[in-house]
Amino acid sequence: MKVSILIKTLGFYSAIIGVFLGACTKGKTDYEAERGAVVEEGTEFKEVANVATAGYTISIEALNGAFYRGYNDIRLRIKNTQTNAPVDGSTITFLPVQTAITGEKSSCPHQYELAYKADDKYFSGYSVFTSESGTGGSWTVYISFKVGNQTFSAIKDVEVKQQTNKNLNMTVFTGKDDEQYVIALISPRKPTVSENKLLAGIYKLNKPLDLSPRSFPDQFQFSYSQVEDYTLKLDPRMPEPSMGNHSSPNNKDLVQESDGLYHGIVNYTMTGNWTLNFVLLNPAGKVIRGTEVPKDFTPGVEGVKSELHLDILF
Amino acid sequence: MKKLSIVLSVLAIGLEVNGQSTTVKRDTANRLAEVKVDAKIKRKIESDLKMAVSVDEFLASSDNISFIKRGAYAWEPLLNNMSTERSTITIDGMHIFGACTDKMDPITSYVESNNLSSIDINSGQEGNMHGATVAGSIDLKRRSTPFGLQQNIGGTYQTGFEFNNRQAFNLGNLFYSTDKFVADGSVAFRKAGNYADGNNQEVQHSQYNKLNASLGLAYKTSALSAVRIDAIFDRAKDVGFPALPMDLWLSRAIITSASYKQLFEEGLVKVWDTKVYFNAVEHYMDDTTRPENLVHMDMPGWSTTYGLVSKVNLKKEHYSSELQLNAYDNLSIAEMRMYPQDRSKRTMFAYSWPWVTTRFASIAMNNSWDISERSKVNLGGSLGVNYNYSKYVEFNWIFHPGAPQKKNRWLPGLHASYELNLNQFDISVGTGFGHRAPSVSEAYGYYIYNSFDRYDYIGNPGLKNEVSYEANGRVGFKTEKISVAAKVNYFYIDNYIIGRILSLGSPMNYQSVGVKGYTSLPYATLFNTAINLDYTIRDNLHWKAVFTYARGKDDTGGNLPFIRPLSYQTSLHYGYRGIGVRTSLHGDFTQTNYSPEYGEDQTASYNIWNLSVDYSFSLGKFKSVFQAGAENLLNEYYSTYADWGNIPRMGRNIFTSLKVNF
Repeated sequence: MKVSILIKTLGFYSAIIGVFLGACTKGKTDYEAERGAVVEEGTEFKEVANVATAGYTISIEALNGAFYRGYNDIRLRIKNTQTNAPVDGSTITFLPVQTAITGEKSSCPHQYELAYKADDKYFSGYSVFTSESGTGGSWTVYISFKVGNQTFSAIKDVEVKQQTNKNLNMTVFTGKDDEQYVIALISPRKPTVSENKLLAGIYKLNKPLDLSPRSFPDQFQFSYSQVEDYTLKLDPRMPEPSMGNHSSPNNKDLVQESDGLYHGIVNYTMTGNWTLNFVLLNPAGKVIRGTEVPKDFTPGVEGVKSELHLDILF
Repeated sequence: MKKLSIVLSVLAIGLEVNGQSTTVKRDTANRLAEVKVDAKIKRKIESDLKMAVSVDEFLASSDNISFIKRGAYAWEPLLNNMSTERSTITIDGMHIFGACTDKMDPITSYVESNNLSSIDINSGQEGNMHGATVAGSIDLKRRSTPFGLQQNIGGTYQTGFEFNNRQAFNLGNLFYSTDKFVADGSVAFRKAGNYADGNNQEVQHSQYNKLNASLGLAYKTSALSAVRIDAIFDRAKDVGFPALPMDLWLSRAIITSASYKQLFEEGLVKVWDTKVYFNAVEHYMDDTTRPENLVHMDMPGWSTTYGLVSKVNLKKEHYSSELQLNAYDNLSIAEMRMYPQDRSKRTMFAYSWPWVTTRFASIAMNNSWDISERSKVNLGGSLGVNYNYSKYVEFNWIFHPGAPQKKNRWLPGLHASYELNLNQFDISVGTGFGHRAPSVSEAYGYYIYNSFDRYDYIGNPGLKNEVSYEANGRVGFKTEKISVAAKVNYFYIDNYIIGRILSLGSPMNYQSVGVKGYTSLPYATLFNTAINLDYTIRDNLHWKAVFTYARGKDDTGGNLPFIRPLSYQTSLHYGYRGIGVRTSLHGDFTQTNYSPEYGEDQTASYNIWNLSVDYSFSLGKFKSVFQAGAENLLNEYYSTYADWGNIPRMGRNIFTSLKVNF
């Protein structure tokens, strides 16, 4: 008799305990979702546009099937429209050109001669679009390729969308040496509160020596090159006034590696708004652009940014 | 949660089987609660001055406990002048870990004086039965009513009011005891407003509100065995921490256990006691009541622990021994989310405890031999293994790139002592050696703001074990009227873990001035001494006094922080018929060995005088006691060496309480 009462009591209290345990007053943060809230990851190459010319179809692919302002990896696949057989191993060139409303034409950093990837039978390159399509102007890509001894060319208008992922931000500026530079972030696309490998492309406009155009489009008129042996000094900080110019330890300046890109380390100590403050140095160690920012902890004061910086949010 | 219900239902099934197969056999000689194989000194939960005390006030009356106080509530107990990372604090051997990164919820804050029967304090390695330790152990013993009391139903009710902070409390206990079945229950409410300091200034944000309830059910499965389940629920709400930039909105703990105890009449093994337990703590801070805060921040924390403790007591002639197995799994999570002034902007998020799992298992043994009538040798040891896993280890990598996500540590401990009785003298000497693993904060903490020195603290997963070598001694002298005892202990601690300023990184919390990383000093030393005097002047007039002194130094001879200066407590008790008069004086001398490096400044001496009168009477057939008194009678304005941010202590406090036993 007593035992059954006891068991009932036990059951009652285990039920009460169960209710207490099941109900934490505030939910824990879903950290995976927290990081994914702002940054969506695009890892799949999809077709942005295709263009047909003289029996061949060219398919232009990029991540998420769209071009964005900033750095874009580009893949081109060319096939014989009739046989569907992929064209391989030939020379392919790719030239993006922007036409401003005024009619003025310019380009952006890009890989002119695409590299052939035999495994997947595509041609690989990149383009750093410096503006979005719209009021600023429109973008057109000029493609030429050789099959046998015959050269074919194609022209396609493309749309460049706004890059909502601030971790792929870019900036265009004129350095103290009067050259035009472009710095574009390539990765991490989805940073974490941790040590992140920071990858950026740094490009310079090659001023055309001969201003008389030979034929349009002339790649020499629109040529950019990766800058060699520069250093991009890095100082990441949180600009929010309440964060008092908060920074992180163990960051590494970006230096060029064998792939031509600039590699460094950035540590993010928490999610939120960050500013990457840069100072760009040429191989001689001379400042091309950028200012050192104050390092003091100044609660309540918005952080001072370098004249060369990129804003990040994750 | 699932696991727990499984455990409970398994227990319930087991109980049913046992219950039905047991033949009823009366054997009052084997009342479980009366079996005490080891004779440890147990103290009633009552201080020299007050009969209705909080757990903190009770602990404060012990000579090797001091406190870090961040307000009027949830004081952090320091054992041998060492913080809670260095001691193991358990409830009936169960490990519980606070969910607050700022140590605003020591384990002692999740119990109430009316669900405890005593507190066992073991200094140094003698305390390693419950797990690896350096400073020792504090075990809070829960109340458990014996089987087969003559009085079937009984209880206690205490109520009282303290005028300074308008604290009202109601504590109730009830028990039901038969030969087969025992139930214990308790409920406690406390609600206090802000207290006033010695200058009659109100100390803002020092209020608290606490509810504690406990239930224990025991069933005797045979003449020599019993099962018991226990649960404590504790809820603190709207607790102010005047020394911190934030308060507590809510903390809740549920502490549960199921145990089985078997006694043996013959043979070497006397008692076998096994318990499985589960506890969960949640802790939510609130800074919205502090308009001075530049940034709103949420800092929730959770701590969940599963564990097992199994103990065997052995005894044969002159030899007795205790063998204990401990195992637990704890998950500690603490988050911080900062809100920008422009609330439409994205919040900033980080973990201050990035889901840190600690698994610990240890086997410990304590043996004692009575070599002769007068002397005794104790020898004990423990071996523990401690495993840590940081789920979001990338947080730890920011300051410690490449730190391993998992870490195993072996934690050995040994102690030996010799006790000798020579007529009126008793002498003991002892020594010990032990390792401890860094705490979750010390190893994996991330930007934990310490408002005492105003630094953000970063854990280091690669910290070495702290290794303690200790020596202790005691000399006592006792006559019928006088007893005098002097105790000393000395700790030499290798790899002493403490926060050191880091040259890298910058603060995250806007109040802080820099970043400190937990690092190991090559060594540190700590010396504690206490002298106890007890004098029975007349049968109804007792005098007691305690003097303590401690000194802590780092490897360069600098002072360690939070070391109590020379202090004393003295009390006089006079009883006449039903009336008792108690008066006590306590104080610290000027803190000369303070540590500016760790945020300390010199604290002046103080002397506090207290007085109380109690009257015992019968209320019908109920025995009752009424008490009234005053603490800090002279309304001295003071703060102690361990008051966070030098917040002043309570000024004159008149208290009253009534206790009815039925």
